[in-house]
Amino acid sequence: MAAIDQSTGHGHIRHEGWVTEEANMRRAVYLEDPAQLDMTKRLCGIDGLKPNDKRHKCAELATRITDPDAFATAFTRGAEHPRVRAVIATPYDPGVWPNPILIPIADLLGKDGHMYCTGWQLEPVDGSMDAAISNRRAWRTAMAEGRRPDVPQPAARPVPTFEGGTLLFLVGHNQAQDGYEIVNMYPQPRDDDLCVVTDRSSDERFLLEPAPR
Amino acid sequence: MRDFYWNRHPDSPFATLIRIATTYLHPEVDELEALQKLVKRESDEMHTFKAELRKAINDPAQLPDDELSKHVRYEDGSPEAFLRRLWRDLYGEEPIDTPEHP
Repeated sequence: MAAIDQSTGHGHIRHEGWVTEEANMRRAVYLEDPAQLDMTKRLCGIDGLKPNDKRHKCAELATRITDPDAFATAFTRGAEHPRVRAVIATPYDPGVWPNPILIPIADLLGKDGHMYCTGWQLEPVDGSMDAAISNRRAWRTAMAEGRRPDVPQPAARPVPTFEGGTLLFLVGHNQAQDGYEIVNMYPQPRDDDLCVVTDRSSDERFLLEPAPR
Repeated sequence: MRDFYWNRHPDSPFATLIRIATTYLHPEVDELEALQKLVKRESDEMHTFKAELRKAINDPAQLPDDELSKHVRYEDGSPEAFLRRLWRDLYGEEPIDTPEHP
């Protein structure tokens, strides 16, 4: 973990067990960055790692590996995986970011490795994830500016399982700007384990109180 | 996601567009400035990317299902809005309809 922390990456900062389940959920719902240690800025959706108070971005999923040993194991085994090694060994070009890599969770953490993974998925709006992500940004912006949002309050639900899922590795530029290294790693569920809601009586949507400005 | 679109369909007419947009613009990466520099390069890959972007803007119905959305997870609300914004971010006021190599 110390070696990972020396890199330019942020996988261990946003996708490892120190991020609580609630913080992970609030990232997916409200774009609150767990890497942002200034709570005022976090509640305004300001990124904790990018300079100049840039707004934080998040896909439809916020996921993590809950156990530090499992995270370090996945990272280390991923770093030794031939597909990751091949990308890291690519001749360095300071203008190019390598393509992301997907490796099955089971390949790195064993058949029960998915049990170390949790995550939250943004609730689609009218069946559309495009609309949900766009609405979330509009909601976040309005709240940060002290306006009443004219879009629905975002909501999220837990990812039901990561069984059959993958770990996504992002490779980027190292500190010395002379080579590539892993800059992010996070779990992703199978596509068909998302957006499936058949029984609304067991609906586990979470609608939180808006964060104070 | 079991595998990326460009690995599943390497010969797709939009494989390069989806691959590069995902690599630079997915929220976990968010490197628009790097892509703005990259597209200035005179390379076959960048010509292909620009041609695919132009084709997707002119006829978004040709895009494969929701692959662009699922890969890039843009905040623009629709693939059409994302693609047009991306063109402006990368090529400014250059007309979309002007062919690269007439």
